[in-house]
Amino acid sequence: MKNPVAIVGVGQTKYRRKHSDKNTEELVRDAAMAALMDADIGLDQIGLIIGGVAPDSLAGISNIDMSSIARPGIPYFRVNTGGATGSSALLAGLSWIAAGRAKAVLIVAVERMGHATSAPIVFNSIFDPIYEKDISMSTISMVALRATMLMQNYGFSQEHWAQLAARNSATSMKNETLENPRFFTADQVKDSGVLAWPIHRLEACPTSEGACAVVLAHESIVGDRNAAWIHAARGLSDTYAIGDRFHRPEGSLVNLLTLDLSAKAAYKDAGITDPLGQLDLVEMQAPFASSEVMAYMALGLCKPEDSIAFTERAIENRASIAVQPSGGPQAANPVSATALIRITEAALQIRGKAGERQLDGIRRTISTGQGGATQFSTAVILGADKP
Amino acid sequence: MDNQQSEPLTIAGNWNFDYRYFAGDTATRFFKELKDNRRIMGTKNPTSGTIMVPARSFSDADYVPTTEWVEVGPGGKLEVFSIIGAKFPGLPDPPFAIGYVTLDGADTAVLNYVSGIDLSDLDAAAEVLLKQPRVKAIFKDMREGRITDFHFEVVDDAE
Amino acid sequence: MGKDNQNNADATNSAYIYGAAVSASWADASLSLTDLIFEGVTAALKDAGMSISAADSIVLSAHDLIDGRSLSSMVTAPAAGAYLRDEIRLSEDGLAAMSLAAARVEAGESEVSVVAAWGRASEGDFLATSRVAMDPFTQQPLGMSEMDISAFRLSRWMTKHGVATPARAAALQAQKKRAKTNPNALSAQSVAHPVSFPVHADEGPKWADVVVAVIIGKKPSGVRVTGVGHSTDMTQVGDRDLLAMPALRDAAKSALSDADLDLKDISIFEVDGMTLSDEAIAIEALGLCSAGEGFKSVSQDSRINLSGGSQAGWCYPAMGLVRLSEAYLRMRDKSKEPTGERKFALVTGQGAGGGQTSTAIILEAK
Repeated sequence: MKNPVAIVGVGQTKYRRKHSDKNTEELVRDAAMAALMDADIGLDQIGLIIGGVAPDSLAGISNIDMSSIARPGIPYFRVNTGGATGSSALLAGLSWIAAGRAKAVLIVAVERMGHATSAPIVFNSIFDPIYEKDISMSTISMVALRATMLMQNYGFSQEHWAQLAARNSATSMKNETLENPRFFTADQVKDSGVLAWPIHRLEACPTSEGACAVVLAHESIVGDRNAAWIHAARGLSDTYAIGDRFHRPEGSLVNLLTLDLSAKAAYKDAGITDPLGQLDLVEMQAPFASSEVMAYMALGLCKPEDSIAFTERAIENRASIAVQPSGGPQAANPVSATALIRITEAALQIRGKAGERQLDGIRRTISTGQGGATQFSTAVILGADKP
Repeated sequence: MDNQQSEPLTIAGNWNFDYRYFAGDTATRFFKELKDNRRIMGTKNPTSGTIMVPARSFSDADYVPTTEWVEVGPGGKLEVFSIIGAKFPGLPDPPFAIGYVTLDGADTAVLNYVSGIDLSDLDAAAEVLLKQPRVKAIFKDMREGRITDFHFEVVDDAE
Repeated sequence: MGKDNQNNADATNSAYIYGAAVSASWADASLSLTDLIFEGVTAALKDAGMSISAADSIVLSAHDLIDGRSLSSMVTAPAAGAYLRDEIRLSEDGLAAMSLAAARVEAGESEVSVVAAWGRASEGDFLATSRVAMDPFTQQPLGMSEMDISAFRLSRWMTKHGVATPARAAALQAQKKRAKTNPNALSAQSVAHPVSFPVHADEGPKWADVVVAVIIGKKPSGVRVTGVGHSTDMTQVGDRDLLAMPALRDAAKSALSDADLDLKDISIFEVDGMTLSDEAIAIEALGLCSAGEGFKSVSQDSRINLSGGSQAGWCYPAMGLVRLSEAYLRMRDKSKEPTGERKFALVTGQGAGGGQTSTAIILEAK
């Protein structure tokens, strides 16, 4: 690969419902300084800072990044692609380095949804005000619609959703970045009440805020730093209208078309022909069990006809790839940061810095990002070796 | 982590912005057709021939204007659904069902409320809806020119 | 940035411009926001003589609060041609989107990119939404908005240089006259949002529904992006030198250094500013005239803002890209060239918060 780039430092605050003791500058500083220290790179070596902040209305302060992430004298801009923000920001940083504009870039994503007292109303304001707002769409019902399609087309059941959610909750108990990880069983999920059929209350991720920072470095300055190398980074955008995704030849509503295409392009860049065999770990931005199942298929980890079997293996931690070792966004989904966290968690695993959740032999990983109703997708492949 | 000597300061805030969204000629006509003529219209993508509902002024997939109008429905097929079981701020009281329906003659599905099934047992209702039943668009007597001028009613095939 | 940073053996590609289109309208109810964007990008493609199928990347600048939708790019990106393309949206001035798009081309990641930015002032209230960007503890209680930052800047200028009523009036007339001859300018009436004294009512921007799109790519054309610069000012308005505008100054310096040029090599300037005073003071900060002569430059310096600047129509975050399009179209259209050479243009775009961030781009016409 021309101009290899590596992640040489990461920093995360804890993710909790509210950081009521910190203002946003402090949250950002914690993550950013941790990343710079981890990278052993000073702010004076950073050629660009990219801020990742998704809907302003969650923080209730417009352009909260300007007061918390931007630094005097350093080039800066903010990316907002909804849930994919964190990964889109990273992709922009890679372009900057590849263009020869900087050797080191700092990416910082911060989520301040702990400010919001009515986050669901905010989430509902993402829908088209002309044709859709009157029909009470919510992000939860948006997910539910697809879950019903998976049940119709592939035979998934509520049991699968509950088991997968329970599995992720068990895994999340080892993730020290989560302030209050929740442990629950599949039965507890099924008993927790229906939010939007078939999604149950315990499936929905809790409100989480926090900051995540990543330092990207061009190969010429990596030296002997502990690095997770970028093997591929791809993104693609889809149509908005969910109704347009049922009958098109390119792929149906559950085919996660742009993730599928991003992953295929990333696999090609990274020389991967057998994802399940050649990747050790997958961190998906899948805030619900049904989202995760669609991602398995889009990433080519299983064929559609084997999706139930693969899901059952993943539930039992028997899949031949580590699945969501952080617990995934079902445990904590700070919107602006979540896609960057998926990449950060993979990088920690490769670099052997994942603490209690560290797995052995992680040398190649894939992380996904999703924005909107899986409209914006990214796929980032990291490797222990320089590509 | 919290300062134990005093509660950290919070200040209440409220965002209350007014917007007027210009629906544009295409959406304006779509809603007028609902209100005045009780019909649901789509527009035809000249490149692919697909009929897009609700009517659109352009196809983003082929990046062309779409100007030919076509009536669709009132019958259709329920593609997917969800039954909202909890109260969300700003949304109607549960339970209620919504779904995407491909109206007869359309190539895309349109979202609306779905009624005509007993929602007292959500799992039982889901069982019916999972079969992707036929539905029919039912118009209100008093229409306002909004998407809620109609809703979908499950057609009982058993008859 | 800058040639010193080039760190790969192969020469990086340059980004060339193939076409651009600017539209400024007001409250045209026949068009939804997505219609406006679709028309704008279509017009730019037409200007470039290209079809959307040639594009592999879309880089956008837009802001949720101005669009009145959270994650507004869900509906707007497809209107800009994002379907099954690599698309990214910045919430930053449009010139930053141009810069990132150029980086994609320079990096060899894109052959043809669509760059688009918009702000539809008639659907919302820009100043009202700007208030919620201010600090909730120290600024919001005082109702501070973007207009107030412009007012602070002008009040500082007036402290140093006096009230300057005649110079300001002359500058305003000059800009209005130029806007009248600019086919991209807003001709309709728009709204009169309140200004903050000492900014005069007519020195505020001509609020408009602005959509701008530029098509760029790897294959050489007549106009090339030859220098890019970015910088950031102090976070707190109270900590800033409002007249020196160091973020703008340093962004321009970086761009000039990147292009290996001096200010005197530039023959076309398009300088962004929300109010007449922001433009005038920016001109001083860029070193295009002495301190205190900014308004006079607006009137008399035939290299600067011949588009009419903010009097031709304004809405954040489109404006840096509008300024670039105006410069590009001028460079391409020989009938519009000022006396003298027209080989290089310097364009600036100001970020929110009174230009806390600044972008500068230099174009070269072969």
